Amino acid sequence: MTVATADTPAGHEGHHEHVHYTSTGLENRKIAIWALIGSECMLFASLISTYLIYKGRSKVGPFPHEWSCKTSNVVGKTAELVAGCAPADVLKPILDIPVTSQSTFVLLMSSLAMVLALAAVENKGHPLPAGAGWWDRCLASSKFWLMATAVMGVAFIGYQSYEFTSFVHEGLTIKTNLFGSSFFTLTGFHGAHVTVGVLWLMSLLWIDRTRGLGPKDELVVDICALYWHFVDVVWIVIFTLVYLIS
Amino acid sequence: MATTAAPAPINTPAGTSYAPGEATGIWSWLTTVDHKRIGTLYLWTALTFFIVAGIEAFIIRLQLMKPNNQLVSAEMYNQLFTMHGTTMVFLVIMPLSAAFFNYLIPLQIGARDVAFPRLNAFSYWVYLFGGIFMTVPIFFDVAPNGGWFGYAPLTTMQFSGGLNIDFWVIGLQILGVSSLAAAFNFITTIINMRAPGMSLMRMPIFTWMSFVVQFLLILAFPAITIALFFLQFDRFFGTQFYEIAAGADPLLWQHLFWVFGHPEVYILILPAFGLVSEILPTFSKKPLFGYNVMVYSGIMIGFLGFGVWAHHMFAVGMGATADTIFAMATLLIGIPTGVKIFNWVATMWGGNIRFTVAMKFAISLVALFTIGGISGVMHSSPPTDLQQTDTYFIVAHFHYVLFGGSIMGIMGGIYFYYPKIFGRYMSEKLGNWHFWSFFVGMNMTFFPMHYAGMLGMPRRIYTYDIGQGWEQFNLWSTVGALLQGVGLICFVYNFVKSRKRGEVAPNDAWGAGTLEWSIPSPPPDYNFAKIPYVTSRYPLWDIKQPEMTAELTHTAPDAGVIADAHAVPMHEETQYYTAKSLGIPMPFPTIKPLFAALFMVLMMAGLVFIHLDLFWVAIFVMIGSGAAFVGSLYGWLTSPLE
Amino acid sequence: MTRLPYRRLGAAMFIAALTLALAACGGQEYPNSTFIRNTEINTDIIALWDRILFMGTLVFIFVEGLLIYTIFRFRAKPNAPLPKPVHGNVTLEIAWTLLPVLILIPIAVPTVKTIFKTQAPAAADALQVEVYGHQWWWEFRYPQYGVTTANELYLPAGKTVAFTLRTVDVLHSFWTPALAGKRDLISNKTNYMWYTPDAKLAEDAFNGFCTEYCGSSHANMRFRVYTTTPENFESWAAHQKLSAAGSPAALAATASADSAAKKAPARAAIIPTPAPVPVSNVGYIFPESKLKSHNVPHTPIPASLTFDDALLTSADVAAGHALVTNIANLGKAPCLTCHIIKGEGAMLNLSDNGAKGPNLTHVGTRHTFAGGLFPTNAANMARWIKNAQVMKPGATMNTFGIGEYSALIKAKVTAGLTDKEIADIVAYLMSLK
Repeated sequence: MTVATADTPAGHEGHHEHVHYTSTGLENRKIAIWALIGSECMLFASLISTYLIYKGRSKVGPFPHEWSCKTSNVVGKTAELVAGCAPADVLKPILDIPVTSQSTFVLLMSSLAMVLALAAVENKGHPLPAGAGWWDRCLASSKFWLMATAVMGVAFIGYQSYEFTSFVHEGLTIKTNLFGSSFFTLTGFHGAHVTVGVLWLMSLLWIDRTRGLGPKDELVVDICALYWHFVDVVWIVIFTLVYLIS
Repeated sequence: MATTAAPAPINTPAGTSYAPGEATGIWSWLTTVDHKRIGTLYLWTALTFFIVAGIEAFIIRLQLMKPNNQLVSAEMYNQLFTMHGTTMVFLVIMPLSAAFFNYLIPLQIGARDVAFPRLNAFSYWVYLFGGIFMTVPIFFDVAPNGGWFGYAPLTTMQFSGGLNIDFWVIGLQILGVSSLAAAFNFITTIINMRAPGMSLMRMPIFTWMSFVVQFLLILAFPAITIALFFLQFDRFFGTQFYEIAAGADPLLWQHLFWVFGHPEVYILILPAFGLVSEILPTFSKKPLFGYNVMVYSGIMIGFLGFGVWAHHMFAVGMGATADTIFAMATLLIGIPTGVKIFNWVATMWGGNIRFTVAMKFAISLVALFTIGGISGVMHSSPPTDLQQTDTYFIVAHFHYVLFGGSIMGIMGGIYFYYPKIFGRYMSEKLGNWHFWSFFVGMNMTFFPMHYAGMLGMPRRIYTYDIGQGWEQFNLWSTVGALLQGVGLICFVYNFVKSRKRGEVAPNDAWGAGTLEWSIPSPPPDYNFAKIPYVTSRYPLWDIKQPEMTAELTHTAPDAGVIADAHAVPMHEETQYYTAKSLGIPMPFPTIKPLFAALFMVLMMAGLVFIHLDLFWVAIFVMIGSGAAFVGSLYGWLTSPLE
Repeated sequence: MTRLPYRRLGAAMFIAALTLALAACGGQEYPNSTFIRNTEINTDIIALWDRILFMGTLVFIFVEGLLIYTIFRFRAKPNAPLPKPVHGNVTLEIAWTLLPVLILIPIAVPTVKTIFKTQAPAAADALQVEVYGHQWWWEFRYPQYGVTTANELYLPAGKTVAFTLRTVDVLHSFWTPALAGKRDLISNKTNYMWYTPDAKLAEDAFNGFCTEYCGSSHANMRFRVYTTTPENFESWAAHQKLSAAGSPAALAATASADSAAKKAPARAAIIPTPAPVPVSNVGYIFPESKLKSHNVPHTPIPASLTFDDALLTSADVAAGHALVTNIANLGKAPCLTCHIIKGEGAMLNLSDNGAKGPNLTHVGTRHTFAGGLFPTNAANMARWIKNAQVMKPGATMNTFGIGEYSALIKAKVTAGLTDKEIADIVAYLMSLK
């Protein structure tokens, strides 16, 4: 029967491997997630464009890569330029590339974990090779890799929170200037997407712990993986354009 | 699976607007996930908003009828023109198109429903609640008043400190969710749920135009979503996106808005183009001329539509180079549009034209959109546009394309598909009154505006002084509005009374060639008792008027594909059965999408309390509704569809 | 129903033709027409427009004619054979894809030429005018002459004027239809445009409008352009640069009030005004006789706003001068906290950029006020001071009439000005030539 596919991420009892006829051979939810990703590309493109348009146009500091002084109009690349400024009024460049590189690495590694989680789900039920050790069992554990992805996602959010609170302490809030507004909104939207992804992973993990995920659930884990990789790619673009390029 | 004995057809008195065996009553409407019911809900709601926006327009015309008129205050006028535009675009034309997407697309492609039926219902309820949220404020004198385009910094807190703009920003965000959700649904449906043999180039042309529109929706809405988020954050959280003192650039709003806004106008016209492309062949007794080119030109229009947005900004001082680039792109987009006009004329050429009301509306789109297109080419040249922009010349242009184009096309679609939806024809006599009142009234109202604009009348003014040379034109425009009002009354009366008193319609009400006409009117809830496989783009003509499609190559799909889909050769279905007797599992009706929509809207609407100095009420409403939203979402996602 | 109703079609076409004819009918003045070649810019625009209109008319006649022919010729006739089911024709498709190109190229080429011609930098010796848009009035500054004025733009005919366009608040747009296209005033941005009023416009008045929705009184943000001979323009500018030629009575009152003020605290001292200028020398003012009916506003004043006009004839200029310029009266008549009157109120140190209201130095010479909304006369001005919001929705000027309801503070005014005081102030203002 060509009936609409259920839009439940967890699948449900009753419809097993029986694949409904579709024009493309793909499942409906697979197509929908790609459409969503296309739309989200435009969303982040608008946010990133705004950041780039407002780059260098803030009237007051702090600035992303430049030193400035609260009491004078001096803005510059090096600390010497603000030498005459009272220490309390100095605004140092806000972005901390070494620290953010670490969080970027964590997020990138989380994508690897996601790939392994999907592989584990697809290969569930295959017997492990003879002489398999703890690492092989680990590799084959979807729970482990889903948890790892989620933990790394949470670690990324943790890094972001740490960064943002330290920015606030250094004088940059979402209300301070054009840089603050566009930066926090852009990274905030991204962080919100990561958070949604983490919640999604946790619900998959919950299902894995209760009834178990297996090859029949490949679609729902695949969709989550696509979303997660997308969020990762967006971060790479943000990291490059906001942090690395000055 | 299939029952062992042949299912027994249900005998029904003909002409009931419910298919037999269908649940009736308000609860069945609140819990429906059937695309046909949802389409019908969109239709009724959008027509109601059409009346609301029409009344707003009428008051505008009464105010402008004579100079220095004092029928309404400046403040009320500014709310009226803002709401007229916002309502017509977001609460009338887009939902009327959605009504047709919902009703027709699954029927035209041979599917039983859309890909995500509950998401479909959710889209409708979000639209309804969002529309109410945006419209009710007018009764409290706090309707949005920043224009339908809401230019910053006028819409920032500094210059619009009241609640008006808050309702506008939040309302549009809500409606954006509705449109986006529906777009994902239809993209998946069209890509993935076509009957065997229905390749993309065999889809009915309305489905093709709708397909392009869905892509425009998912790619254009994010831009306005972000523009609105920036404005929302500025107004509620103190960010600096549009704050002049912080060095913000008002052009950021304009660029983001028009990157959405221009594709939006193609979203508004392409469905009407699709409807007209179904109506003209039917009543010319000829296939659509140049189907392939019609598809490609639709795609070109969609694609190029993303490259012309700054032609709305020729007066802002972007510089000669930018002006030139956008001018050239705008001229370019006139070509695929012109090609469509010619193809429509060629469709009628050599035919036997029957002038039903639907046909009259369809032909009028061709005539009136041409006029709107010509004035559009006039705006595309920046030097002349610097005289025309922000004047009544522009108002004339877009009313010719939106009223003469979208509305006339949609009205044609309503008369054309009414028999399919309600099982009875609308009255042709009342329809003629409707058509001629609209046609004459519309020209009477909007043609003089070309003159008023070129003779110096700016837009968005609540009054004007005597002796400026505009009185006569405004008077004509108002008289035309009266005439349109007469037409509207005829239409509403016709629409309501024909449900019970119209002439009963068969499955193939007009002699058309596509799948939706092969099943009963109104269709049973399962749509097709047996999914047919198709061998050309006019499957019904294939069996009823084969000479129409003799020239097309008919290739049947693989036997394996047919077996996978449990499809059968093309056939007409005139009997009703129950889904149960046919062994077709139907989705469960459920109230969960309605609740999810309600709580989501409340969650977003709760923000307004912050500007009423009720911070904790806002927090309570937002968090409480948010939790209820997540709860209903959880219930929805963990319950089976069928 | 399915037959073409000729009668109805005929009626429709007749009404359309009537509309056109009436609109094009002579005997009606179109003062704001964009079709008058008053500047080289308008001339260029009209040339381009003529070309596009010609192309558009060709397309209109061709397409609509073809459509009407088709629906007449191929209407269903009884016992007609089935039409040939033609699905397409490649040659035709190519032809009518190329045909629009042939129409568009003659539009595109002159368009690009005109864009670059009209947006080229202005001539170096052009008259500089700085336009500042305010909600809902226009400020004009002539930096080369040191003149700041409002709502009236004097331009020498035959000389290029280069505008610098800025706004102090929201978006506005500067448009005189009979002279040139418009340009927006964008916050945090400066826009430029220029045009040259034709040399034969030696004494003409044009209406201007704000054409970007800017809030409550967008419709009421109007201005006038007066084109004059270059000599008259120099005379006007030379006088506008100075303080007002005050009436002798006001200046005499200044002298006597001086002695009275010496009894008051030193801070209440009146700032001395410069040497009096003979009343007859007020420079060139565009003559009222040359104003056409459409240049004179006819904005109605709400009946609820009453004023005892008899007070105006017996008003005291000196008393008005004291009310406006004496620091002691600042609470009652804080005029100089928003308006500049050259030579008065120097202690307040109000600069052009800080002034929230129009410069009133020579307000007596202007034919309209309140953003071109009312003719300048004592009766209108008195009512304006009494309750500006009632006359102009959203106006940000305070309401001063005692007992009047102020939409700004949403309450009745208790501490304000009596009608007599307002009349005196008006007499003073009208004397500012």
